[in-house]
Amino acid sequence: MNILQTDNLTKYYGTEPLVVKALDGITLAIEQGSFTAVVGTSGSGKSTLLHMLGGLDTPTGGSVTVDGQELSGMGRNELTVFRRRKIGFVFQNYNLIPHLTVYDNIVLPVELDGRSVDQRYLQDIVRALGLADKLYRKPGKLSGGQQQRTAIARALITKPAIILADEPTGNLDSRTSQEVIGLLQATGKRFHQTIVMITHNDEIAQVADRAIRIEDGRISEGR
Amino acid sequence: MKRRIRMNAFKSILLAGHVFLTVAGCVFFGTQLPAGRIKWIAFALLFLLCVLGIGYYLYFRKRFVDFSEEICRKADQMIWDGNDRDGYVCYQNDNDDYARYEDYGRYHNQETLSSKLIMELEKLEDITRSRLSESEQEKEKLQKTISEIAHQVKTPLSNIRMYQDMLKEPRLSEEEAEKFMEITERQLEKLEFLIDSLIKASRLESDLIRLHIEDGSIFHTLTISVDGIVRQADRKQLGLSVCCDPAIKAFHDVKWTAEAIGNILDNAVKYTSEGGQIRIDVHQGELYAEIRIRDTGKGISPAHYNDIFKRFYREDSTRNTGGLGLGLYIARNIVMREGGYVMVRSVPGEGSAFSIFLPMNQVL
Repeated sequence: MNILQTDNLTKYYGTEPLVVKALDGITLAIEQGSFTAVVGTSGSGKSTLLHMLGGLDTPTGGSVTVDGQELSGMGRNELTVFRRRKIGFVFQNYNLIPHLTVYDNIVLPVELDGRSVDQRYLQDIVRALGLADKLYRKPGKLSGGQQQRTAIARALITKPAIILADEPTGNLDSRTSQEVIGLLQATGKRFHQTIVMITHNDEIAQVADRAIRIEDGRISEGR
Repeated sequence: MKRRIRMNAFKSILLAGHVFLTVAGCVFFGTQLPAGRIKWIAFALLFLLCVLGIGYYLYFRKRFVDFSEEICRKADQMIWDGNDRDGYVCYQNDNDDYARYEDYGRYHNQETLSSKLIMELEKLEDITRSRLSESEQEKEKLQKTISEIAHQVKTPLSNIRMYQDMLKEPRLSEEEAEKFMEITERQLEKLEFLIDSLIKASRLESDLIRLHIEDGSIFHTLTISVDGIVRQADRKQLGLSVCCDPAIKAFHDVKWTAEAIGNILDNAVKYTSEGGQIRIDVHQGELYAEIRIRDTGKGISPAHYNDIFKRFYREDSTRNTGGLGLGLYIARNIVMREGGYVMVRSVPGEGSAFSIFLPMNQVL
């Protein structure tokens, strides 16, 4: 089953004759439960693609369908709720809230939705990500890898339809990168999550089930 | 059930209490207070309170009934739509059904209770369905494996048959016969090896193998796998060094991890030319123990990092070397099932480094 689909997705910046084609007709389908890496050099359009997939930006043309719902048909408020319930984000710079503890950071999306936290699931995630003894620290007291693991836990807690990771290891040294990617892959499998990860690094991409290469806004390999 | 009865009883008591108080109040005011305006005001107030109470009750009851009806309707819709949720579009021709289609989107992505509940219900449905489709995929996978096995087995089998036929020739010289016999023998060996690996791969894939994952010393496991390749390495005069602290432990299955490491070592030996070096060292990270196997072989270009772990993948330049393209696939499968992962880094022409990461905490 395809959890995510794009159909001839385009994003142009500027007006004629100075049009920059950040995305130029991307059609892809991502299967539920898979781990996909989108690989490309900087400026290839990979981040733009991820922003489109997550509803953070609106495309010039084409459509994005996540879990049977088309993003372009939604209003702003609707999109906010949709993102909160269906999509988990992991960013390069972690985006944790500094004055909340690790625990509060992780459960934030659930609490925003006015739900109570599934404690058993939380314990499970936290154990798998090696954060069990750091739950009551502030993010500032953690290493980069630990902060990124916190962000992964935050993405997992809502059991989203899909997790989008934008250069999750961009700020980490190579050893920590490997650990974080390994964990992302292992937890994805364990909790049956679909993951799409953007990276410029082939070494990181090899952990994925499938690598899609993007060049100049087009898919060049691995459709 | 018991709880519901209690709820109902509670509701009746509440209602009865309400009515009782009102009646009692009326009687009290009717007899105790002097007639006049105060009496009527008190009456009116009480009456208003009573009506308000009943009104509230009915209002919330209605809200609750509506809410549960919405949820029920949505659940019905899910059942009704069955396997085909991408297919709402097909109802559009029918007016009545079109309304249902419109309805569908109404509950999505709202801040209301019903929206929350409905999306949660959908999630549940998704998970149930994906479990179902998983078992279907399993079946497909098995079928694919069978056809792949058949395909792979065919070549050596037809070779054997051919030489067998040739051996039947009456005019065959002794020398030739011996040569053919040898070829057949080699083909048979190949077949045996092939079937062995295929069985392993398919059993791993269809989860027929149970891993006994324990917190054990990596050194011990490493010894088993190195033992398996020492002779081949010796034959090629490869330098072999192992650097491992016996105290380093990780969660793994000794037998199968040894197999995984063995497969990677096997490749290292195969693709490193004579006089090369193979170095194994083990490091401890924060969460994983890393077993790194470095060789001075021909290396892998970064564009193929992802491919080499795929089933039956052989790089074009390796066609002449024996192998099936299953070793790394099996290795990765084993390690992943232990909650670890395999990574490769390489400089083409200078060598490659495979890293096996095994979890030091129980991940799975």
